[in-house]
Amino acid sequence: MKHRMWLVLGLITLGLLAGCASSGPTRNINDPTNSLVFGYIDMDDAPTKVSSAWMVQVAPPSDTPYWGLGVSKGLFYNSYLPLGSYQLSKFGGSGFFAGQHEYMFPRQGNKTALRITRPGIYFLGAYKYKKVKTGLFSQGKFAIEKMSKPTEAELLKRILEDDDIKGSAWAAKIRARLAQLKS
Amino acid sequence: MSSRLTRARRAAAGLLLLGALGACVGPAREPADSLSGLERDETVVVGRVELVPPLRKDEQKFKGIVIGDLKNKMILITDDQYRQLTEEPDMSDFAGRIEAKLGQTFFVRSHSKPFFILGGMLYLDLGGEEMNRAYFPGGLKVSLKPGEKAVYVGTIRYHRNEFFEITKASIVDDYDRANAEFKKKFGTRYPLHKALLTPVK
Repeated sequence: MKHRMWLVLGLITLGLLAGCASSGPTRNINDPTNSLVFGYIDMDDAPTKVSSAWMVQVAPPSDTPYWGLGVSKGLFYNSYLPLGSYQLSKFGGSGFFAGQHEYMFPRQGNKTALRITRPGIYFLGAYKYKKVKTGLFSQGKFAIEKMSKPTEAELLKRILEDDDIKGSAWAAKIRARLAQLKS
Repeated sequence: MSSRLTRARRAAAGLLLLGALGACVGPAREPADSLSGLERDETVVVGRVELVPPLRKDEQKFKGIVIGDLKNKMILITDDQYRQLTEEPDMSDFAGRIEAKLGQTFFVRSHSKPFFILGGMLYLDLGGEEMNRAYFPGGLKVSLKPGEKAVYVGTIRYHRNEFFEITKASIVDDYDRANAEFKKKFGTRYPLHKALLTPVK
């Protein structure tokens, strides 16, 4: 019974955290040194959808290296990353039957490695989750495969729907980027 | 990339893994403390592994109970026969490994016959719920001859970036320093022969 209570509480909390909320360190969204970093993951073949996502700052050194990403239907993004080097660190998700899952990215050979030397808009790419076969007692493994859809423009349009983004300095920058992608 | 269930199922898997590790991983090459304790067909292999830039404090995260001293330590995977490591090494690959503290000279006992360094491995996250490793290229031959009590093989210097991509690997001859350490540790009765690591063609 006790476990069920925790499960229910956990699901409520997850529900509240889902959507576009991100966690970890925060900065003023209009800081001119911010970068917008985003991507997409198709989790159709995974045990769960994604409800939380994290990037890790690998340089410069930081006491708070984990940056939360907003997540919405496969789209993940952060609009206030300072200059530095980053890569995806972890996705989290839960399902009623599947339970709570974490999807860990390697620190070496990570396809999403990104070095931000100038503030701007950075597209990490669109990926599909692929399960990798392992032994019965081995930790689950997965790979991510690059996809051509959704495109950078499609995802930027979705980010523009976020009220925080709409009312920030990002709106104009995203529109400029969309115009650039069109031409 | 790995995925996992949280809490109870993960803990059970962890216990299984610990049990499996304890049962299957062969011993590392023993550190050498004296030359008099060597068997007739044994040689002390002397060398060093360096990482450029060196590991930052926050780049290696160990949590909870971690068996063995793996901090700042490169595990060199070895074999008597040369082969390419194409997949993640399994437990049997770690038998006869060299555990080298980064930036420090190692002295390990070995049979007096050539062997190969297939690659290196460094734990980045270990313990608790995390397991993340970085791998380093190998393909190096250790040339040992019967009758040589001690052989210097050189410094393996790996250059890497913040994402642990290896940008350069080289063998550096730092014999003078190694020989000074060797004499201090073992005396001057036996010479330290030099046979630098050579890439396998």
